[in-house]
Amino acid sequence: MNKTSSSRRSYVTTKVLVYAALIIGAAIMIFPFLWMVLTSFKTQAESVSIPATFFPSAFRLDGYKKVLENLPFVKLYWNTILLVFFRVVCAVVFSSMAGYAFAKLKFRGKNLLFTIVLVQMSLPSQIFIIPQYQMVAKLGLVNTIAGLVFPGIVSAFGVFFLRQTYMGIPNEIGEAAYLDGCNQFQTFYKVMFPLTGTSVAAITIFTAVFAYGDLMWPQIVNNDINMFTLSAGLATLRGMDTTNFPMLMAGSLLAMLPMVVLYLIFQKQFVEGIAGTGGK
Amino acid sequence: MKNRKLSASARREENWGWLLVAPTIIGLFVLNIWPFIQTIYTSFCEHLGFGHYRFIGLDNYIEMFRNPDFWKATWNTVYFCILTVPVGIALALFVAMLLNAKVKFKGGFRTIFFLPMVCAPAAIAMVWQVIFNGDSGILNQILGTHIQWITNSKTAIIAVAIVSTWSSIGYDAVLLLAGLQNINKQLYEASSIDGAGKIRQFFNITLPMISPTMFSVLIMRLMASMKVYDLIYMMSDDTNPAMADMQSLMYLFYRSSFVAGDRGYGSAIVVWTVALILLVTLIQFWGQKKWVTYDI
Amino acid sequence: MKKFLRGMAAVLLVALMLSVSGCGASDGKTHLTFQIWDTNQRQGMQDMCDAYTAQHPDVVIDVQVVSWNEYWTKLEAAAESNTMPDIFWMHTNQLLYYADFGMLADVTDLYDDVEPGYYQNHFSEISLGNISGSDGRYYGVPKDKDNGVLVYNKEMFDAAGVAYPDDDWTWDDLTEASQKIYDATGNYGYLAYLDDQLGYWAYVYQNGGYILSADRTACGFNQPGGKEAMEFYIGMQQEEWCPDQNFFTQNGAGATFWSQRAAMFMEGSWSLLGALKDHPEMLGKWDIAKLPKAPDPVSTPESLDQDGRACMSNGLCYSTGAHGKNLEIVKDVLKYFGTEEAQLIQGRSGAAIPAYLGTEESWRTAFEEYGDPINVDCIFEQFDYAIQVPYNSASPRWKSQVLDVLTQVYAGNQEVDAGLDKMTEIVNTETAKKLAGN
Repeated sequence: MNKTSSSRRSYVTTKVLVYAALIIGAAIMIFPFLWMVLTSFKTQAESVSIPATFFPSAFRLDGYKKVLENLPFVKLYWNTILLVFFRVVCAVVFSSMAGYAFAKLKFRGKNLLFTIVLVQMSLPSQIFIIPQYQMVAKLGLVNTIAGLVFPGIVSAFGVFFLRQTYMGIPNEIGEAAYLDGCNQFQTFYKVMFPLTGTSVAAITIFTAVFAYGDLMWPQIVNNDINMFTLSAGLATLRGMDTTNFPMLMAGSLLAMLPMVVLYLIFQKQFVEGIAGTGGK
Repeated sequence: MKNRKLSASARREENWGWLLVAPTIIGLFVLNIWPFIQTIYTSFCEHLGFGHYRFIGLDNYIEMFRNPDFWKATWNTVYFCILTVPVGIALALFVAMLLNAKVKFKGGFRTIFFLPMVCAPAAIAMVWQVIFNGDSGILNQILGTHIQWITNSKTAIIAVAIVSTWSSIGYDAVLLLAGLQNINKQLYEASSIDGAGKIRQFFNITLPMISPTMFSVLIMRLMASMKVYDLIYMMSDDTNPAMADMQSLMYLFYRSSFVAGDRGYGSAIVVWTVALILLVTLIQFWGQKKWVTYDI
Repeated sequence: MKKFLRGMAAVLLVALMLSVSGCGASDGKTHLTFQIWDTNQRQGMQDMCDAYTAQHPDVVIDVQVVSWNEYWTKLEAAAESNTMPDIFWMHTNQLLYYADFGMLADVTDLYDDVEPGYYQNHFSEISLGNISGSDGRYYGVPKDKDNGVLVYNKEMFDAAGVAYPDDDWTWDDLTEASQKIYDATGNYGYLAYLDDQLGYWAYVYQNGGYILSADRTACGFNQPGGKEAMEFYIGMQQEEWCPDQNFFTQNGAGATFWSQRAAMFMEGSWSLLGALKDHPEMLGKWDIAKLPKAPDPVSTPESLDQDGRACMSNGLCYSTGAHGKNLEIVKDVLKYFGTEEAQLIQGRSGAAIPAYLGTEESWRTAFEEYGDPINVDCIFEQFDYAIQVPYNSASPRWKSQVLDVLTQVYAGNQEVDAGLDKMTEIVNTETAKKLAGN
């Protein structure tokens, strides 16, 4: 046996092992979703039978009917869309402005102000709930979309991340625009901002995913289930009937659907955008 | 003359700088920093009710340090970090390396591993509760065990860590994959010619080259794990026999401040948690000099 | 694509504007908010409000349901920033905390122009206890009353050849029946899950013990009657016919009963109508009975000469903030909520058993729709020996701590006796702290 065939064999073995590992890993990742789908079609008795049955005896829609009775899904979808949209707009606009200033402009107090951004990132968000609720209440925005958006008006992570992006853009570009007669804002808006497309996309995805997953705030700031988002609505399901598994799974699926569909359509942008948030 | 002109333009630049950061800084200060300063103050107070406080000095801290439940929660948080951070990142790196190999359907695998990232944590927690169910759960059936995953004091926190790792592995792997793809292929070729094996290549080239990315992932994962709350909130229950063994510091804060109304004590827990986070982060930044390679 | 995105943005922006301006409607009417926590009662509350606004067209009342978990966090935060809802449900556990802090409007004189002694004439002593502050004034209008009953699966009793629970049933009879049913059918007997009002409270009082002494200053978990009862109640989870707390946390007692895996559990009167609605397939297969009594009470307090009988009763009330903007109008609404007419509307809707004496039976109407399948009488009869649920002004502080210790007892990490001592100490300490502070 010569050397090339033995290395060829070890090459094949490696390949097989890699595929095996990937397939097992993928199976583990997919399984909970599969189980969610299967359970959502079971009867309540089937879902708790011992031993567990894998497939439902028939594809029943009872869980879906029940969850649609209990949760106003159309309103939840709409509220979630509004929340995500405004959070994203705010995060992109304000974080771009601040990120640009922190990266490119000289002003007194810059380091101190940037420290505020860094400190905020290490604080647990639960401690803001009561103070922020009181602010919203004083503004008369309880039970409104504006109240939902409120804590996400600014994004420390967005600022931090976009600052990195702007630091990566050569200073010469800005200086050239400045010499052409642009003021600082025009330089930012017309020249620099358009160069940050990929990072803005990343922030958009990041903000959207987090706004969508947020579960405490919508429950606190909005009184009525009609003003909840999908995640918050889902959390209240648990309180209604803790252990109607098919209903809970049907609700989870319906709540996940829009984001998963978006993800599958734009998966390349999603994954690459998020990959950019790691920093260099 | 020239000097004055420069300083005028410098002043303009300064004004623009302040203007551009103003919305963010005002927002962060009002929404986050001021409440945190208040939290620090209230940690030295007794909450009399409805936002009225009485200054009591260090009493909350003394009570906290004497309370075994508090130390238990601190340990639970640390244990949770141990379970999720090293193991989670090692698994993520493994996945990233698999995806970096020349495989078919790379995009498909990447999509699957990343999927939990876009799912609402509430939904994730629910399906795992069904899977973990000690009586009718599928996991026990597959493993042939009879473990009360969520209510056994030994396994409850492990169960939460599994869910946490499962949902973040794709995100970490994607970041690490980006790092791996930036490594110059010639480095491997050169070392192959030198007769280096795969394992030596891994330690001599791969690890040092992606150490900056690893460092970002490490910091992010560590901060998130120290603050873990949502998953425990969704997966546990007041009557769970394993509550004391699975509650994290932030969950203990929630129960003290929100449920029992003891906001002074709750604030002390927060201050402790933030101090721990800062300490761990500082250690990381200090330690990175030893293992993170910024240029080769 | 760009145009589409811009169009989308414009639409969303308009939607936001509308949702912001929507709250400040300027139609010249007074808009009131009414906050409750039970979705099942929304319709009943709405009916009552509609009846009021029909007579007062210048008032609009918006009923909002907030889930129980967030209700108290929000109400307290709202009270601090003086943004409380105009009308809200108040719970016995919390009333003293709010009232003693001056957060609730005093409504003692609400009915002075209608009838002197209105409250005393039309509401039970327990109802009045539920609305009284520490100063003896009234801070709410009684809404309803409730108690817990034994829900049982008739088919399982038949299959095991065991007679249905009757008025003379004791807890010994219950355990015996549980064993027989388990042996005969393999299903669980009584589901002794960890809970206070729907768990150990009733038996503690039946057995001559107490959670709080009559003056609400001392705790009695470790007194002889209480201790014996707690040991028995906790011990039931050791029996083969009862699942343990691990099971209840993950599967829920209600779900276990309704999926026909157990013969009995304790349920609150407020959940029964919902159960009929949610489990049509179970119609006719289940019924309710009075709670079993203590077989051999350690002692019988003078207030309880009922040979080991007792049930725990609670009741909510309608309250309003002390500093509300529309206080006069709100008080008028509250006044209406306490009338016979309003309480009858609430009763007929099936929302809850009205607190107004003599209107209780109206609650039956809702069950007639289902053909009157369960023995509602036993709930009314239990009121004869009902005990007000134990609470004091320190309740919000000790409740969760007591639960923590009890959970450890159930988990087996803590001996029952030591746990009861610890629970007693927690309640006594928090109560003393609260008393010293006032």
